[in-house]
Amino acid sequence: MSNKVLVIGGGPAGLEAARSAAELGGEVILLEKRERLGGTPDRENYAKLTHHWRDASEAMGELASAVTGNSNIEVKYSTEVKGMSGSAGNFTVEVEAGGAAESLNVGAIIIATGFQHFDPGRATQYYNYYSFPDVITLTDLEKMLKEHKVVRPSNGEAPKKIAFIQCVGSRDRQLGNEYCSKVCCGIASKQAIEIREQLPDSKVMIFYIDMRMYGYWENEIYWPAQEKHKVNYVKGVISEVLKKGDQLLIRGEDTTMSRPMEVTMDMVVLSVGMEPSAGTRAIAQTLGVQQNKYGFIEAGGTGGLDPVATSVPGIFVAGAAAGPSDLDDSISEAGLAAARAVASIRKAMAAA
Amino acid sequence: MTETMTTVEEILERKSQSVVRDPELAPTHDIREALFELEAKGEIVVQRVPENHIEVKTKYGRTKKIPVDHTWHHKSCGQCGHIPGYTSSIFWLHRQFNLDYIDPTDQTSCTGWNYYASATSNAVAQAAVMIRNFAAAHETGYFPMIHCGTSYGHYKEIREQLVHHKELRDEVRRVLDKMGKPLVIPEELVHYSEWIHAMRKRFAEKQTVDMSMITATVHPACHYYKIVAEDAIYDPDIYGGQRTATVTGTLQSLGINVADYSTWFDCCGFGFRHVLVERDFTRSFSTLRKIEVMKNEVNPDVTVTHDTGCVTTLDKSQFSAKAHDRKVGIPVLSDAQMAALAMGAHPFRVVQFHWHSTDWRPFLDKLGINWQKYWDEFQGDLELIRSGQKSGITWQDADAPVVYG
Repeated sequence: MSNKVLVIGGGPAGLEAARSAAELGGEVILLEKRERLGGTPDRENYAKLTHHWRDASEAMGELASAVTGNSNIEVKYSTEVKGMSGSAGNFTVEVEAGGAAESLNVGAIIIATGFQHFDPGRATQYYNYYSFPDVITLTDLEKMLKEHKVVRPSNGEAPKKIAFIQCVGSRDRQLGNEYCSKVCCGIASKQAIEIREQLPDSKVMIFYIDMRMYGYWENEIYWPAQEKHKVNYVKGVISEVLKKGDQLLIRGEDTTMSRPMEVTMDMVVLSVGMEPSAGTRAIAQTLGVQQNKYGFIEAGGTGGLDPVATSVPGIFVAGAAAGPSDLDDSISEAGLAAARAVASIRKAMAAA
Repeated sequence: MTETMTTVEEILERKSQSVVRDPELAPTHDIREALFELEAKGEIVVQRVPENHIEVKTKYGRTKKIPVDHTWHHKSCGQCGHIPGYTSSIFWLHRQFNLDYIDPTDQTSCTGWNYYASATSNAVAQAAVMIRNFAAAHETGYFPMIHCGTSYGHYKEIREQLVHHKELRDEVRRVLDKMGKPLVIPEELVHYSEWIHAMRKRFAEKQTVDMSMITATVHPACHYYKIVAEDAIYDPDIYGGQRTATVTGTLQSLGINVADYSTWFDCCGFGFRHVLVERDFTRSFSTLRKIEVMKNEVNPDVTVTHDTGCVTTLDKSQFSAKAHDRKVGIPVLSDAQMAALAMGAHPFRVVQFHWHSTDWRPFLDKLGINWQKYWDEFQGDLELIRSGQKSGITWQDADAPVVYG
C-alpha cells in the first residue's frame, strides 16, 4: 500500500492537482517530461490568458511556485512513465529520466498530460500554412503578442489587415475531430483585441461558423471586441487561402449575405483546435485507461457525474487530457481529482 | 530553437518542415483492408498489383503501389476522340522503356459522364460496367491503369459503394454471372498520372529537351484529388505535402518552373451536365476563373493538367473568351504530353499538337523546336496515307525520339 499520489504532467491541471493533493495532506510526486513546469501555456509562450487577461508567465509561475515551494511535493523533471502494474492503493510505476530507471510505488494516479494544438497541415481545408509565411496559427501569434512585436513573417512589417479563421481542425467530420475545441473563439477574440491595442491602425476580421462565447466571455470579451476595439466578425466558412501578389487572398462564403466572398489580407491566423497530446496518447496505452474515439482519456464515470474518473479505479484525469478544456475547467477538475485521489488512498488504507 | 532565433525565425522554421502524416491517425478507413476482408469471405476477387511496382505515399501517409509495367490500359473516350496526342503520349512513354502493356480492344467507356451529368443510369449498371472492364483486365493477367481522371474518380466512388453495400455486390454479381465473369476489384485504383509521377525521375534521365526556361501552371483535376481524397499522392517534398504532388512533381523533375496562382483549387469548370446543356457556363468558368487569372498573375508558357475534361475545357474554351477580348491564350497540355515532348517525342506524330485549339506555337518556339520542319514531315506522312502507300502512322514511325538540333 502507498499513500503517495502520482501526478503525471506539470501543466496547469497537473500543478493544481499536485498542490491540492498536498494541501489535503497527501504526499505527491509530480512527473514532468520537460525540464520546466508550466505545460502548454509555457511551452507555447502564451501571452495573456483568456479570460482574465493575466500574463501567462506570471500565472504559470505562481502555480509552479506553489508546487516547488511545497515540501510535500517531489518534482521529477525530464521524466517519463514507461510501465505500470498493480491496482488502486498499490500501483507500481516504472519511470525513466535520462536513461536512469526508477520504480515508484503510489496509491493513486492523476493523468494531466494535456493537449496539443492541431497541426494545420493535416487539415482538409486548403489553408496553406506550410506554403505561405503569413499564414500563422494562434500559438505563433501568442508569441508575437507576448513580445509586443506582431509582424508579417514574410517581410517583417506590421500587418494592416489580419483575418482569423475559426474552427481549424475542429467540428470537422472529414478530419474526424468532430468536437468543438471550446476556447478558440475566446482566444481569437482576445488576440484580436490585443492586436488592435498594439496596432491601432490595423483592421481585424474574424471568420466564424458560430462564435462560442459562453458565460462571462460574452460580455468580457465578445462585446468589447466589437464595440470598443472594432473587430469585424463575419459569419462564413473560409474554403481556401491563396496568394495574390504579396498579399493573401482568402475565399469563402459570407453566410449572412448568402454569397461567395474574396478578401485580401496581410496575415491570416488559423484558430487551431485541441487534440490529445502525444503524451496523453502514450500514457493511455501505458496505464491501460480507455480512450474515447478522438484519443482523449475517456472520463465521466458511470452516469457522467464524475468528470475525473477514468476506466481504471485509482487513476484519475484532469484538464485537456480528457478533452477540450479552458483554464477554469482544468483547475477545477484538478482540484476534484486531487480530492478523489487522496480519498481513494485513504479508503484503500482503511480497508487494508 | 536556438537562443539567437527571433520569433519570426522560429515561426518560419516551424513552417519550413514538411508535413509527414501518420497513417495511424488517418480519419478514413483503408479501403484496401475492406477489399481483402471481402476476398477472404469469398465475395470478390482482388487483383494484386504486379511485382514490379513503385511505392508512393497518399494523403494520410498510406503507401500506394503503382505498377511499372504489365498494365492493361483503360483508355479515355474524350482523349481518344478529342486529344489523341494525350493517349499516344502515354503509350509512347511506356515504349521508351520497353515496358510490357496491353492496349485492349474489349474495353468499354466507364460511363462516368452518364453518372455525373444526367443520373439516367443506376448504381448497378454503373458498377457492373466498371467490374466488367476489370474482369476483362483480370483475364489477361495485366493490371488496369486508368487514363481518364473522371473514370478514376468515378471508379473510386463505385469501389466505396461496392464495399459498403452487399445488396449492390449481389446485384452486380448477378449481372456479371450472365457474362461468365467474376466480381474483380483491383488492389489499387491507379491513374496514369500516378505512374508518370512514380516514373518522373526516369523520364528526367532520358530528357533531351531543355525546359528550364519554361514557366508552367498546374491545374489538378477535381476527380483526382477531391473525390475520395485519401487516395491521391501527397509528397512532403512537393508543396510541403500540402497539395497533391501529381503533375507538379513531374514538371519539377523536368526542370520546369511551376508557378502558383490564386485559383489553384478551382475546378476547371467542365461540368458534365452544363458542358452539354449550358456550355457558355463552362467556357466562362474555365477562361475567366482559371486561364485569365493565370495569365494576369503568372503569364505562364503552358498550363498542364492530368484529366481529359480539364485539358479539353481549358484548351478548347479560350477561343470564345478571346472573341470577347479577354486576356487568354495559354496552351494546355497533359503531363504525359509534356514528359513525352521533353524526351523527344515527335510534336505531331506523338504529342499531336494539331488537335489543340489554343496556339501552341509560341511555346514550341520558346523551347527552340522548329515545329514547321516537323509539321512538314507530318504532312509527308499524311500524303503517303492519302496516296494509299500507308494505312496509317505506326509505332515504327513514331517510336524513335526526335533529336532536336
